[in-house]
Amino acid sequence: MSERKLEISVRGLRKAFGDNKVLNGINFDLFDGEKVVVLGPSGSGKSTFLRCINRLEEPSEGEIFFEDTLIDDKNIQEMRMEIGMVFQHFNLINNLTVMENLTLAPVKLHKFSADEAEAKARKLLKHIGLVGKADAFPASLSGGQKQRVAIIRALMMEPKVLLFDEPTSALDPESIGDVLSLIHEVVEGGMTTMIVTHEMNFAREIASRVVFIDKGRIIEEGTPSQFFTHPKTPRVKEFLEKVL
Amino acid sequence: MDNFFEKLVELFTTPEYIDSLLHGFLLTLEISFFAVLLGFLLGLIIALTETGKSKWLAPLRFIFRIYVTVIRGTPMALQLFIMFFVIFAIRDFPQVITAILAFAFNSAAYSSEIIRGGILSVDAGQTEAGLALGLPYRTVFLKIVMPQAIKNIIPALGNEVITVIKETAIVSMVGMYDLNMAAKDIGSGQNMASYVVPMFTAALFYLAVVYLITFVIKRVEKRLRRSDVRA
Repeated sequence: MSERKLEISVRGLRKAFGDNKVLNGINFDLFDGEKVVVLGPSGSGKSTFLRCINRLEEPSEGEIFFEDTLIDDKNIQEMRMEIGMVFQHFNLINNLTVMENLTLAPVKLHKFSADEAEAKARKLLKHIGLVGKADAFPASLSGGQKQRVAIIRALMMEPKVLLFDEPTSALDPESIGDVLSLIHEVVEGGMTTMIVTHEMNFAREIASRVVFIDKGRIIEEGTPSQFFTHPKTPRVKEFLEKVL
Repeated sequence: MDNFFEKLVELFTTPEYIDSLLHGFLLTLEISFFAVLLGFLLGLIIALTETGKSKWLAPLRFIFRIYVTVIRGTPMALQLFIMFFVIFAIRDFPQVITAILAFAFNSAAYSSEIIRGGILSVDAGQTEAGLALGLPYRTVFLKIVMPQAIKNIIPALGNEVITVIKETAIVSMVGMYDLNMAAKDIGSGQNMASYVVPMFTAALFYLAVVYLITFVIKRVEKRLRRSDVRA
């Protein structure tokens, strides 16, 4: 355990929107190579937790470290280059083609030259079977195609950690499978990931650790087999009875 | 009807009348053009300040809010009078500049709301996607938000341009010789002694400009909507 590298460390994270306290003191460590699935009822603060990590939400209190660096307003851009994110609503850039969506950030941020980025993007597009869509605008893609492009867009930056915020919640049942198998593949490739999802079977299958959040607190965590078969808290038992 | 055609011929064969019409038309275009341009630039500054995140812009935001409220809440004709008889009541100060500024200050308030609305209409997810990749806010704004905002801004801004062009007709109230004033002058007793032909001619001039602008805006709009096509 001790030689595993710490990727993300969250200490005393609180977040309130006005009077609405969404996160009430979260402590959490994410180690290199871990695949953490974050579960919890809707409104429990799962997404907010994920969004605080790359500061799409400004934490009200607490500290978040990436490796040994405290994430603050000054280094957040560099941190975001290391911590990729995939959104529920894909958020492909509407005014850019698929290719431009993939190459904009790596080229602008000098991660790759324009040629390198394009070659890499083509390779990834080919892999997901969408190389023919390189010059199409996102409006012409289906939901499942958009999300798969969004996933490889995050991979283009070669992040150390990838956050998935309910990546299949806005998809039709047929495309969910395609997206899940791509996520599966990414995760199997060794990417350190955190996934907020409602897909229980998928969670069980890929998670190395399950974290359960309720009312803005982590109330239980463990391996999938522990968590799904022998939940410790009544709240998790109740939750699992409802969803399984 | 005979009389109408006689008057029509008279208008277009009398050099002084044509001269007056063209002079008026040019003044209308001059005021409109510079007012729209200046109004847009000022409106852009207001809109960027209002949608900006920085805390030290707060006092400026407050001032602009009051500005927009006052301009939108008072008649354009009154604003023109205030500019002419209060603020720029300076002997020999060029009337054209006073008029341009009056319409520019007015248009800025409306343009700023149009631009602000356009920026706010872009889905927050677009900004988040850019930021999450590590792009600086500036790049996200220029490469992602603005190009999408412009699609919503252009049609409304086109309307604003048309409004300004037509509204400049009130400069005749402060004695400026624009297209509207030219029509009235040519039709008066000392000249043609008939308002019908000059006024309809002036109307056609306004209509032609407005139509041309509408046409251009439609073309631009179509081009900007390329990325929305689901094919």
